[in-house]
Amino acid sequence: MNRRGVLLLLCIVVASIVIQVSLLPVFIRPSFKPDLLLVIMVFIALRGSVESGAPLAWILGLLNDVCSGLFLGLNAATYLISFLIIKSISDRLYAESAFLFVLTVVGVTFVNFTLNLLLIALFTTSPGVVYSMFSEFFPRLLVNAFVASLVTACLGFDENVPST
Amino acid sequence: MDFLKKYMYPLLTGACILAALLVFSLNVPRNREANVIERIVLNALSPLLKPVYRISGIVEDIWDRYIRLVDTHSENIRLQEDIRALNLRVQEANEALLANKRLEQLLNMKKSIKEPTIAATVIGEDVTSWFRSLIIDRGSSSGIREGMAVISAEGVVGQTVKVSSTTSRVLLLTDHASGISATIQRSRARGVVKGKSEMNCTLEFTTRAEDVKVGDTVITSGIGGVFLKGIPIGEVTMVKRGEYGIFQTVSIRPAVNLPHLEEVLIVQRGGYE
Repeated sequence: MNRRGVLLLLCIVVASIVIQVSLLPVFIRPSFKPDLLLVIMVFIALRGSVESGAPLAWILGLLNDVCSGLFLGLNAATYLISFLIIKSISDRLYAESAFLFVLTVVGVTFVNFTLNLLLIALFTTSPGVVYSMFSEFFPRLLVNAFVASLVTACLGFDENVPST
Repeated sequence: MDFLKKYMYPLLTGACILAALLVFSLNVPRNREANVIERIVLNALSPLLKPVYRISGIVEDIWDRYIRLVDTHSENIRLQEDIRALNLRVQEANEALLANKRLEQLLNMKKSIKEPTIAATVIGEDVTSWFRSLIIDRGSSSGIREGMAVISAEGVVGQTVKVSSTTSRVLLLTDHASGISATIQRSRARGVVKGKSEMNCTLEFTTRAEDVKVGDTVITSGIGGVFLKGIPIGEVTMVKRGEYGIFQTVSIRPAVNLPHLEEVLIVQRGGYE
C-alpha cells in the first residue's frame, strides 16, 4: 500500500469512528448502528495482502474496543480471526463481486458475533450482555448488509464483469 | 331690440347661471336618485367604460407586475435571507433557552452535592449496541479518575471508566457490567441495580420479604463509596415474586433519559488510579 493509500485508509477509518460515535447515535437507534470498521476490515481482507491486512484488522478491532464496552482486545481478536478466515478462502473467490462482498460482510458479522459471544462467556463475568447481543444481532446483520451494499455502489464493484 | 342686443351677453350669462342654480336646487332633494340626464349619460357610457376599465386594469397589472416589480426578485432574495437569518436566530435562542434550563437544573443538583463536581458535555456514544457507554469531554487533566460517579440533574448516569487526558468513557447504569448499590426510598429495602438493556435496569438481591411496589423511587444507598447517598436512580416499573426463590424480580426505569443526555456532572470523590 502506498503513502496515498495509507492516508486515505486513515481518513476513512477516522471518519467511520466519528460517524459511529457522534453522528449516528443522534439519528438512529443503537440496534441499527452499522459496524463500519467491520465493513472496512472485510474490504481489506478481500482486496489486501495478509502482511499488511492482518495487523490492520487487529488495529481496527482495537479501535472498535477503544470506543466500545469494557473489554479492550475483544474485537481486536475477533476481527483478526475473521480476517484470517476470509483470507484463507479469498484467493479462490472473485473478490470484485458486489454480491460476494455483501455476503462476506453478513458472514463476518455472524462469525464476529459468535466469537464475541464465546470470548465474553469464557473470559468475562457479564452474562447479561448475551441478552443484548442476541436481541440486537439481526438488526445489526441487516444494517451491516445494507452498508456493504452502499459500499459496493460507491467503490465500483463488478466493473470488470463482462456484459452478456 | 337694441336693449337686448346691447345686454345680450350679460343676460345670457345670468340666465345660464340661474338655470344652473335651478337645476342644482331642483336636484338637491333627490340627490340619491339618478335623473334622466344621468341615466342617459351612464347608459351611453357603459359600453365604453367596461373595456376601458379592463384595459386600464391590464395596464395597471403590467405596471405592478413588471415595471414596478423590477427589483422584486432581488428584494425577494434579500427577504428570504432575512427570514433564514431570523429563523436561525430563533432556533439559536430556543436552543439557548433549553440549554439554560438544563444547566440551571444541573446547577441546582451541583449545589445540593457537598463534594466538588465537574461539569462535562457528552460528545459520543458507544460504537456498538451491545454495551452502554458515553464519551464525555473531560479527562484526567480535569481531575477525573476511573470509578468516579457521573450524575445529571435527574439522577444517576453511571461511572467513569477508561479515562484519557481529555476524554473519559462513562459506563452507563444500563450497561450489563454496571452495578450500583441502591435503596427503595419508601421502604428502605436494599439491592443492587444492574443494567439490563437500552432503557431498563433491574434491582437484584432484594429478598421476597422486602416491601417493593410499582412506582417506588429507587435511590443510591451510598454503600460502596462511589455514589453519594440519596441520588435518584429510577422508578420501579415491575415487581415479580415467584412461588420459589429467595429474591424478587424488580424492573426499574432510569430517572435519567440516557439516549438524550447532553450535560453531566462528575463527582470528584473516590475513584482509583
